[in-house]
Order: sequence, then structure tokens, then C-alpha cells
Amino acid sequence: MTIGLEHYLVLSAVLFCIGLYGALTKRNAVIILMCIELMLNSVNISLVAFSSYIVPLLLTGQVFAIFVMVVAAAEVAVGLAIILAIYRGLTDIDASNINLMKW
Amino acid sequence: MIPYQLVWLIMLLPLFSFIVNGLIVRPFIKPKSRVYGYITVGAIGVSAVLSIWALFSVMSASHHEIPVPDVTWMVLENGVTIHLGLILDSLTAVMLVVVTVVSLMVQIYSLGYMHGDEAGYYRYYTWMSLFTFSMLGLVLSDNLLFTFVFWEMVGLCSYLLIGFWFHRKSAADAAKKAFIVTRIGDFGFLAAILILFFNTGTFDIAALHGLVIAGTLGGTVLMWAAIGIFAGAVGKSAQFPLHVWLPDAMEGPTPVSALIHAATMVAAGVFLVARMFPLFEYSTAALTTVAIIGGFTAIFAATMGLVMNDIKRVLAYSTVSQLGYMMLGLATGGVAVGIFHLFTHAFFKALLFLGSGSVSHSTGTFDMRLMGGLRKTMPWTYATFLIGSLSLAGIWPLAGFWSKDEILISSLANQPVLFWLAMITVFLTAFYMFRAIFMTFHGEYRGGDESGDYKHTHESPLVMVGPLVLLAILAVIAGWWNVAGGFNEVMGAHGHEETRGFFGGLFGAFTHTVQGVPLPLISLLVGLFGIFSAYTIYIKKWITAESLGRVFGPLYTLVSRKYFFDELYENIIVKLALMKGLFTGFTLFDSKGIDGTVDGVSDVVISGGQAIRHAQTGQLQLYGLFIGIGVVIISLCVYFFG
Amino acid sequence: MNLELFIPEITLAVFAILVILLDLFVRDKSWLRLVSLSGLVIAGGVTVAMWGDDSTAIFNNMLAVDNFALFFKLLFAGIAFLVILASTDYVAKFARFQGEYYALILLSTLGMMLMAATTDLISLFVALELTSISLYVLVGFLKDRKSTEASLKYLLLGAIASAVLLYGMALVFGSTGQTQLGAIAQAIQSMSLESVLDSPALLMGIVLLIAGFGFKIAAVPFQMWVPDVYEGAPTPVTAYLSVASKAAGFAIILRVFFSAFGIPEWLSMNWGMIFAALAVISMIIGNVIAIPQTNIKRMLGYSSIAQAGYLMVGLAAIGFAPAIATQGQSTILFFLASYALTNLGAFIAVIAISNKINSDDIADYAGMGKRAPVMALALTLCLISLIGMPPAAGFMAKFYIFSTAVQNDLLWLVVIAVLNSVISAYYYLRVVKVMWYGQPASGEKVPSSGAPRLALFLCCLGVLVLGIIPGLVMRLAELAGKMFAF
Repeated sequence: MTIGLEHYLVLSAVLFCIGLYGALTKRNAVIILMCIELMLNSVNISLVAFSSYIVPLLLTGQVFAIFVMVVAAAEVAVGLAIILAIYRGLTDIDASNINLMKW
Repeated sequence: MIPYQLVWLIMLLPLFSFIVNGLIVRPFIKPKSRVYGYITVGAIGVSAVLSIWALFSVMSASHHEIPVPDVTWMVLENGVTIHLGLILDSLTAVMLVVVTVVSLMVQIYSLGYMHGDEAGYYRYYTWMSLFTFSMLGLVLSDNLLFTFVFWEMVGLCSYLLIGFWFHRKSAADAAKKAFIVTRIGDFGFLAAILILFFNTGTFDIAALHGLVIAGTLGGTVLMWAAIGIFAGAVGKSAQFPLHVWLPDAMEGPTPVSALIHAATMVAAGVFLVARMFPLFEYSTAALTTVAIIGGFTAIFAATMGLVMNDIKRVLAYSTVSQLGYMMLGLATGGVAVGIFHLFTHAFFKALLFLGSGSVSHSTGTFDMRLMGGLRKTMPWTYATFLIGSLSLAGIWPLAGFWSKDEILISSLANQPVLFWLAMITVFLTAFYMFRAIFMTFHGEYRGGDESGDYKHTHESPLVMVGPLVLLAILAVIAGWWNVAGGFNEVMGAHGHEETRGFFGGLFGAFTHTVQGVPLPLISLLVGLFGIFSAYTIYIKKWITAESLGRVFGPLYTLVSRKYFFDELYENIIVKLALMKGLFTGFTLFDSKGIDGTVDGVSDVVISGGQAIRHAQTGQLQLYGLFIGIGVVIISLCVYFFG
Repeated sequence: MNLELFIPEITLAVFAILVILLDLFVRDKSWLRLVSLSGLVIAGGVTVAMWGDDSTAIFNNMLAVDNFALFFKLLFAGIAFLVILASTDYVAKFARFQGEYYALILLSTLGMMLMAATTDLISLFVALELTSISLYVLVGFLKDRKSTEASLKYLLLGAIASAVLLYGMALVFGSTGQTQLGAIAQAIQSMSLESVLDSPALLMGIVLLIAGFGFKIAAVPFQMWVPDVYEGAPTPVTAYLSVASKAAGFAIILRVFFSAFGIPEWLSMNWGMIFAALAVISMIIGNVIAIPQTNIKRMLGYSSIAQAGYLMVGLAAIGFAPAIATQGQSTILFFLASYALTNLGAFIAVIAISNKINSDDIADYAGMGKRAPVMALALTLCLISLIGMPPAAGFMAKFYIFSTAVQNDLLWLVVIAVLNSVISAYYYLRVVKVMWYGQPASGEKVPSSGAPRLALFLCCLGVLVLGIIPGLVMRLAELAGKMFAF
């Protein structure tokens, strides 16, 4: 069996869905953040795969993926800081307890 | 020739005084200061001078029209441009003079009349300036969209000024009633504007005239458009069956009644029909409707004027009746005839209202049963009021004689049945006016207001008497403009009589015959007979009012209860038919404020909102789930329907 | 390449760094405000000077310098200026961190300017994240429980939305092989309808893009974060978020969907229909839930969802219009400008009032007509404009958008939108009623200082000018609407 574009894409889609599922169901805010990272990185797989199969001479997808990683790192840094701030006030980072504002 | 920039200035000066009064001066000067009055009087005074200049310019201009360049206001996508433009033709010029001159007189008079009012000059003059601006905008506007905007603005000002003493429940109610009743007519007007726009793609009045004359616009479209416009006019000019608001509107300060509810705003309906006259001319059905409604309103309102005891209400019904006359004149004789009566009527009716205000200033009441004998203590008021009444009754050679005559002549030619109604109205008019004069100024003084504070009557101060005298002069001479057909010539109509020069016309009026009938002479005699009848009942008491009351008992009740129209509207239509609907909303609007409007309409919406908001649980992962579900649903939709 | 065309962005970056550095040295922190304001004035001034007929692409076709971008850059600079002016008193709540506050506002403005100019998916993503990450921090600036909660919600949901958006971009890239918008458009035009339907990756990508952008502009069902974040965030940030972030979202949607997916017609009809559907539910949900709200910031949050709905009516009209027509763009630009002024005005009044009475409850606004007449009058004007009544700007804005929609056979949509405007009058006027007729809790005046008053005055002036002489701004919007696509 040769590994084709569709295999990469299916892997990417599955990882994306796992990440999304985790982000919507996990209680711990840090784990939610990790799941979001999973989603972003699954997209990176797609980008790189598309790039090497569709425009093999250009590195568009790879460049895109590097940008995504940089941005994701920045996002995590801010995210962790906010989670810390929450922890200071609440001594808890359970996302289902964070519902002061509703309706 | 007046430069066109000054034409804009006519309209903008009152706006300027509104802004200065309302926004700039207010923080620095207390509300009771006369400064507000001086600013307004100054601004409108200049406007009045410019208007007179404009009128003379128009009279000497070719085609009696002065072009004013447009200002582009906005461009719609499909290439329709809406211009902010002005018309300055003879119709507008006449209206400008009427509005600014009467407004100026009223503003000067108000300096005295509103003196010491707790609400102060500030609010009064601010609204009055805004009103004058809106009214001038209405007559100057060259497209229907802006006409409508100004139309609503004068309605708004009327609402604010009727409710000027809003702490009195009757005033607040009257303001509300006026607003709602005229709104009914406005729906018609708006519908007409939309009909015209969708059929022609333009709001421009001159363009619409052109299309009608060229025959592009006609048939049922034209008829419904004309009737819609007339519906707006019926509301604004208090014609049957929407006349009920005007008498109640007398709750406002008297100078407001004089300006808005006698001379200008109520005449806006007549003006509108005149402005859009080609639309009516080419639609017989619409024109006949105007004639019938006008003629009927004239006599209908006059009968109610016979029995009112409140002097302002007599004048109010008289106004409704005269507006009916103008409509009749428009429909039978064309623009010149109707507008000529509007022109003369504005002066003598404003005079009469201001006179009644002067009387109440001295007696503290408007109830004629508490007055009497005032001619000794208030000679100037008496003299001017008498001139106004004679003019209204159509006595030669005062202004009312000439304009009323024109209407009678043209209605005899075109609507013989309505002519007879109009002739009876002449009698009724003379009768109720002199009934008012005899009750107010003759006999013995009956003590004024119940409070007893007004035992000694006195003449009003000069700022009030001055405008009365000036208006009285106008009430005498305004009609002479058309003695030799001058007015008709300016309005571009052909007079009914051959030109005989001024004096030939002035004295030859009686020998003038229409279809073999010496009509002016007859109408003069009918008017004099009306005055004489009032004299026999109220001065000589050969026939007492009581005995008349016995003979005409049920009729008297019917008339004095205003044909039960208020009850009809309030009990049957409002309380039964529309109870659950619109009117509940309107009523609640005032009783419960804005909450109420929606209570009747949108309980469902509110409870819906209450229910849906609980989907917002505060759980961030649920929010994320919504994003996911949203994506899935949209994808499925695109897949199946895309 | 011509670096001069990048001066507004460079200015903002330099001033943001300058503010952080100065923060270390100056004792009187109000200097920082002056520095950031002057940075915005310079950036705005340069933007105005660059206005012209020619459009260029810089950075390897990644950024466009055209009137469309310049219009938005000026809008963002103006919004940031007003927000900073309005937060003059408010910053006392986090006095130590003023420097970071101003710097982050400048940075997010920079991000938005890039969003308006970007013509490539990669730069789009970076610009979007630059904006968002600055905003995540700004939302949590108060450090109390509500504020941090709002910040966390915004961050996590925003990140999910970014991931969705990114997936969409990957799919679009995969099916066209391009990331540059113009090149994507060319690639799509060479495809046939059948080939797209066979492998629907492109359509799926577009749907995901709509979801990602829908989060930014707060379209239902991607709007759930809005009320919570608006309530929790510092009020000036809420104002900024509700106006600038939304405008940036629309800028990028207009750019991407017009440049990349504008032709062929079957495609634009497709996304036009999606936007029409989203418009309907956004208007209904936003207006209906706004009614029972008791917190004014939350109410304005729902109101902004509804306003996004009206704007999407315009997007739908663009989708349904012939591809060359640019009137749809200009009406949306006009609406955004009027909405920005109006909503900012409302928020500035809310900031000024609630900063003094320490409450965001609508009930506590009772009698403001007497206690703070100027603020109450301005708030009334802004609410009237939000309803869309003349003579305020909101009327003309709705008028333009709805008439474009009607011309493109979307009468049904306009009917729904107008009905919604009527519903919306209820909750807006309720605030007006409470302010003018309500019984004040105390007779005490609510003072306000000069800078917010100036900001409020500018907003109200703008609202009236746009409402009474719309032609002026509309002409600018028309020039800006003719977008430079490649």
C-alpha cells in the first residue's frame, strides 16, 4: 500500500476531531488548551501534505505551518497566563465552574 | 429679483433661532427671560421681510417662478438622486408671506401673552421657531419626500405646543388626540408618495406634474395617489371625518392656536392639494371627492359652531368650516380660488384668535357665558375683533367678502348642490360670529373666571394690541389684491370677471352677475341677515335662545354634542373594534410610557427572549459546542441545497 | 518594494514599543496616553495622505494598499483614538498597568489594519491572531473574577474558532494550490461546477471560513461568547471589541469573499445564501434575547449581534449581486462607519456614567436625564441611531443596506430585518425611558471629565453628520468599495 494524500488528510481530520472533542468535553482548562493545540497541529499536517502533493515545487504549506506554530505558541503563553489568573481567584481551573456570567 | 441664497435664508432663519434658543442661549439665561422672544421675533421678522421681497420678485418674474438651484442630498444605488431643492413659485411666495407675517405677529403678541407663564418663554419660543422653520420648509420643498418630512415635523410641533401645559390632563389628551388622528391621514399621504414613486421613480413635484400633464401618469394609479394625498390633507386640515382633533387642540396657548391651528398648519392640507393640483385636475373622481368633503365639512362644522360656549371652540369650528370652503374652492375653481381664501382667512382668523386671547388675558376664561360688556373696557380688542368677524362673515368691502365670493361663483358653476350648502354656511358663519361678539362684548360683564380674580377688566398691553391692529388692517385690505384680478393673474389663473380697474371692481362688485344672478349682492345680504338674526336673539332677545332650544331640542343636543362624533370614535371604534389592537397600544403609550406600547404587541417576543436566554448557560464548552453544531448544520445545508 | 506604503503600521508598532519603554521611566502615566494618542494621529494622518486612486501590492502580494484598506485603517485609528480618550478616567482601575493597556490597544489596532489590507491567507491568519491575542489580554485586564472569566472564555473559544478557520484555509489551499486571494480566484474560475461538487473540499473550506469569521463578527450560532465577554471586560475594551473587532471581521470577509470567491456566480450565490440565513437568525436571536437583559453592557452585546445581522444582509446582497457590482461593499462600509460612531458613543456614555455610579444595571440609570443630562442626551441619540431612526446615522445606514438588498431580490430578507428593527426599538427605548422618566436614586449629579466628553461629542457629531448629510461619507465609501483584487 502506498501512502497517498488522502491518508494524510484522514489523519489530519481525525486528529482535528479528537482535538475538538477534547476541547468540548475536558474539564481542566489546561487540557482544553492542549486539545486546541492538537486541532491547530492537525491542520498543520494538512497544510504540509497539501503543499508537498499539490505544489511540490513551492513551500507555501510549510511556511504556513511554521507561522501557525509561532502563533499557537503565543496563544498558549497568553492562555496559561489567564488560567493562572483564574486559579488565583478561584483556586480551581475546572471549566464547568467558570460560569459567573450567564443568560 | 431676490437672490436665491436669501430664499434659503427665509427658511433657515427660524431654524437658526430654534438652535440659538434651544441649544446655545439656554445654558446661560433663565427660561423666563424675554431674550428668547426677541431672538425669535428678530429672526422671523427678517424672514418676513425677505418673504415679502420674494413675493414681489415672483410677481414680476417671468412665469411667476424663480429658479433655485438644487443641492444634491443623496444618491441611491439605482441612480435616483434626491435633491434638496426649493420651489419658489407664486403659490409658495403667497404661502411664505402668510406664514412669516402671521408668525411674526403671533410671536410679538406672545411676548405679552406668555408673560409670567411658569413654563417660560424658553420652551415656547424654541418650539415656535422650530414650527415656523418646518412650515416654511413644507411650502418651499420641491419634492414629496421632504414635503412629508416637514409635514411630520409640523405635526410634531403641533403636538408639542398643544401639550404645552402638559401637566393639565386635558392638554396632554388633546395633544395625543391630535397626533393620532392626523396620523391616520398621514398613512394615506405616505401611501400616495410610495404609489407615485414606484410608478414614476421620482419624488420631484415638478416632474410629477409634467408626467400627469403628459398623460404618462393616469387612470386608477393617479386616482389613488390623489385620494391618498387628499387623505393626508383631510387629517391635517381637520376635514370631515377627521375633524375631531382641531377643537380639542384649543387646549394649547392661544397664540399657538392662532398660528398653527388657524392660519398655517391646518392650511397645509389645502396647500398640499394646491401644490399637487394637476394630479387632482386629471382625476375627476378625486376632484369630486375634494369638493364634496370640503362643501360638507363647511356646513357641518358651522352648525357645531352655533352652539359652543367656549369662544375658542367657536373659532375652531369656524376654522374647520372655512378650511372646508377652501377645499371646495380648490375643487371647483382651481388653485387661485382656494389659495386666495387661505390667504385672506389666515389674517382674519389669526386676528380673531389673538383677539380671543386678549379677552381671556383680561377675564381669565374662554367661556363666553362669563364675559359680556367688554367693549367698554377693551375698545381696541373690540374694534379689531369686530373687523375680523365682519371679514369672516363676508361683508363688503373686507377681505373675506372677496375671497368667499370667488368660491361661491365657482361652486355655482361646477357643483350647484354644494353651492347651496355653501350659501347656507354664509348665513351660519355670520350668525355664530356675531353671537360670539354679542355674548362677549355686549351686555353686562358677568364676572369672568370663577376664581373672582378678574373682576376688573382692562385693555391688553401694547405688544398685544399692536399685532391685533396690524392684522386688522390686513383683514381689511388683503382682499383688495384680487379686486382687479391681480391675485388670479399672479397665480396664473384667469379671473371670473373682466378687468375693470381697482375702483371699478371695488364698487362694481354688486352689479356683477353670474348666470344672471347678482351673486355677490345675494351673499352679502345673506351675511347681513345672519348678523341680524344674531342681533334679534342675543341683543334684543325677541326670540330667546331658550325658546329656540325648546323648538329645536333634539337637534340642539345633537349639534352641541358634536354629532356624537367623539363618542362614536371613542366608544364604538376605539373601545370595541380596535380594543385589542392598535389603539390599545396608543393608549398605553401614554399611560404606561413606552413599556406599554410593546406590552400589547410583543408579549410573545419577550417571553421568547426569556426562554432563549437560558441557552446561554455560562458554560464555555457549551458555547464551543454551538460553534461545532453550527458548522455541521451549515455544511449539511450547503451539501443538500447548494 | 516601497516601504513608504507601510508607514501607518510601522508607526503603530514603534509607538506601541515606545509606550512600553516610556512606562519604565515616566512617573506621570498620563504622558503614555498622550504618546499613544499622538501615535494614532500620525498613523491616521499618513493614512489620509495615502488616499488616492492608485492601488499597490506590497510584501510579495501579501498586503494591498488600496482605498478599501485605507478606509478601514482610518476607521480603526479613529476608533482606537476615541477609545483611549474615553478610558481617561477608567484606567484608574488598573493604574499600574496603563502602559501595557495602551500598548496592547495600539498592537491590536495594528493587527486590524493588517487584516483590512491582507490579500493572502497566511498574512490573514497572522493579522487575525495578532488582533485576537492582544484582545484576549485586554479583556482580562481588570483581573477580577468576571474579567478573567471573560478572558478565558474569549481565549478558548477564540482559539477553537481560529483552528476551525485555519482548517478552512487549509482546505481552500488544498483545492486551489494557492494562498494569495487573487490567485485563488483565478484557480476557482478554471474549475467547473461538476468538479467542485465531486470533491466538495472547496465548499467545505468556505463553510469553515464562514464559521471562523462568523466568530469574529458575532454571527449566530458563533456568538455565544459575546454577552459574557462584553459583560466581563473593562468597558472601554468592550466598546473597542464591539466596534473595531467587528469592523475588522467584516473587512476581512469582504476582502476574502469578494476577491477570492466573488466569481463565478454559482459560488457567490451559495455563500450569499449562507449569509442570508445567518443574518436572519442573528437578527432574531440578538434582538429577542436583548429584551430581557438587565445589564446594559450585556444588552449592548446582544444588540451588537443583531447589528451584525443587519450587516450580513449586506453581505448576502453582495453574494446575490452581479460580481462586478461594488455598491454592496460601499453600503457595508457606510454601515460600519455609522455603527462604529454610534456604538462607541453609546459605550462612552455608559463608561462615563457607570464609572461614577459603579453599576451597569439598566435600573440604576433611572433619572440620568436629570443627574447627567449631557450623557443621557448623547446616549439617547446613539440608541436612536441603533434603532435606525432619522436623523441619526443608523437610519441612513440601514436605508442603504436594505435598498441594496431589495435591488438584489432579497425583499424577504429586508422584511425580516425591518420587523427586527421594530422589535429592537423596544429594548433601546426602554433605556431611554428609564433615563428620562425613571425616578432617580439620588438627586446627586453625575460628573464627567473633559476627555470622555470630547470623545462623546465627536461621536455624536459624527452620528448626526452621517445621518443628515450621508453623501459625504458615502462618496468615500464608494471609492473604497472599488476594491483592488489582485
